[in-house]
Amino acid sequence: MSETAAMPLNYLNVKKGIWSWLFTLDHKRIALLYLYSIGAFFLVGVVLGVVMRLELFNPGRDIIEPQTYNQVFTLHGVIMIFLFIIPSIPAVFGNFFLPIMLGTDDVAFPRLNLFSWYLYIIGALFALSTLIYGNGPADTGWTFYAPYSVKTGTNVSMSVLAAFILGFSSILTGLNFIVTIHRLRTPGMTFNKMPLFSWALYATSWIQVLATPVIGITLMMIIAERMFGVGLFDPSIGGDPILYQHLFWIYSHPAVYIMALPAMGVVSEIIPTFAQRSIFGYKPIAYSSMAIAFVGYFVWGHHMFTSGMSGAAAIVFSILTFLVAIPTAIKVFNWVATLYKGSIDIQVPLLYALAFIFNFLIGGLTGLVLGALVVDVHVHDTYFVVGHFHYVMFGGTGFAFFGALHYWFPKIWGKMYNKTRANLAFALLFIGFNTLYFPMLVLGIMGMPRRYYDYLPEFHSLNQISTVGSWILVVGLLLMIFNLVAGYLKGQKVGGNPWNGITLEWQTDSPPPLHNFDKMPELPAGGPYNYPNAKSE
Amino acid sequence: MSNKDHNSEPHAEHISSYREHFGTWVGLILLTMMTVFISVFGADLRTLSVATALLIASVKALVVGYYFMHLKYDPAIYRIMMGIVMALFTVFLVMVIFDYLTRN
Repeated sequence: MSETAAMPLNYLNVKKGIWSWLFTLDHKRIALLYLYSIGAFFLVGVVLGVVMRLELFNPGRDIIEPQTYNQVFTLHGVIMIFLFIIPSIPAVFGNFFLPIMLGTDDVAFPRLNLFSWYLYIIGALFALSTLIYGNGPADTGWTFYAPYSVKTGTNVSMSVLAAFILGFSSILTGLNFIVTIHRLRTPGMTFNKMPLFSWALYATSWIQVLATPVIGITLMMIIAERMFGVGLFDPSIGGDPILYQHLFWIYSHPAVYIMALPAMGVVSEIIPTFAQRSIFGYKPIAYSSMAIAFVGYFVWGHHMFTSGMSGAAAIVFSILTFLVAIPTAIKVFNWVATLYKGSIDIQVPLLYALAFIFNFLIGGLTGLVLGALVVDVHVHDTYFVVGHFHYVMFGGTGFAFFGALHYWFPKIWGKMYNKTRANLAFALLFIGFNTLYFPMLVLGIMGMPRRYYDYLPEFHSLNQISTVGSWILVVGLLLMIFNLVAGYLKGQKVGGNPWNGITLEWQTDSPPPLHNFDKMPELPAGGPYNYPNAKSE
Repeated sequence: MSNKDHNSEPHAEHISSYREHFGTWVGLILLTMMTVFISVFGADLRTLSVATALLIASVKALVVGYYFMHLKYDPAIYRIMMGIVMALFTVFLVMVIFDYLTRN
């Protein structure tokens, strides 16, 4: 008897061979293509990060030259921002689960979906080609600030071209999700009956579609200035560097919410499942995603408080920045309230969700510190900003990504990982992460500037603690990856609903069949999180 | 299983007349001439020159959207979406220009 005859047909075994993957139109396979490629680039970014930390273990030169250091932190930023964090949750888990959660068989434009992945790969190859082509990778930082980016001899043009192509991939994915959510919801699923992950993806997609073109054009302007001497940003030829910063952050601050909102969606899925009770404040969580996306458009100026922007404009941007904290806080309060009186089952995905809340709170509150004009003047361009940013992006979105991976792993592959090892990996990641990044907040307050190759002796011990944290983090990462790969290869088979979830993805087999459902899924009565056995309040 | 068409709606096709196409084209040419005239032939509008150029460009974009891209004949939701995008873009411009005008 053949293997496929022995086990039911699913999206993994219905077709075989490399071409069945490279030309697949199935959203689930495209999601896995994204997962493997994003995972690979993430590991490259981690290696670059560890190289930086090793260099900073002692003052002065340890392992690399100052110019190499500048290029390493730029490439680390470009890879982590454009190749990992921005596409991570939407492209992997959004692609895989959005259609299933909506009760449909695919995204609205499957070919466009595959095209997005190819654009992603082309953009990634462009970014990495700077390692071997031209005068080496850009040394500008991931923000490509002008006028330095116009003048440096490193391969800035190729790097910004990579970001431009990756932007197109992001736009097309967002467009696909918006149309899918509007047109392909299963009968009876109104907007207010959609799972919160779908709401988060919806808000994210609008940002991707509306904000990404701005960065695309801005980056093209950099190339126009470098190649044709058009005076846009370089003051020596009539340009204005602050105009570049405006244009860059008009995209790149909303992009922070492209990174954060899907993570919040993941947490909104994990918490009710492991509390086995209805989510507290469904509508506030759903609408706060839209509010964050909306208000997030108007706060970009807080990246420019010390750049020479006018004082009046800085006050306006500061007030708007404080406003965006409100919908974020609404979400946090609702997640915590959901756990209250729930039947809490502490499994690995819930640990990651709780770590998200912990880390994101530190990241968010330090963001408010940076949003306050008088304090920002002191801590801007110090390690405080690096610490804040990594708490939001890695401690928040990164941990949510790992949580999503552990939450949906049994659905994607139909197998379960070793939970003891997963708990140990989580502990190492959490301890390593905080050991790595919390000292940066202190270093920033002490006045250590960011992006510097060298530092004063008084910053030595905290830098060493931070580097030791990076080692713990790497061990945790390797253990997590080993555990998941082992789970994929030899894990115990699981049924369709190992976590007792009630959103639609838990109604189908694990792994799901090619068209997601063998029979029409039934919407849970009373909303997507109305757990039948929840305790009464 | 496929439920892609469950909430599709009838969409009336519209074929524009040559007259309408030609009129739109003439309108766009006139607006382009106006832009060139203002910038090249010395209409001294000072700080208003940027606003004037943006205004003319916005009118041209609207004309293209309405007639060439058939926004005029599409359901109102598309016009609303277009309006939101235009409003967003306007806010971006206003906030950037506010910074420039209030600098010391």
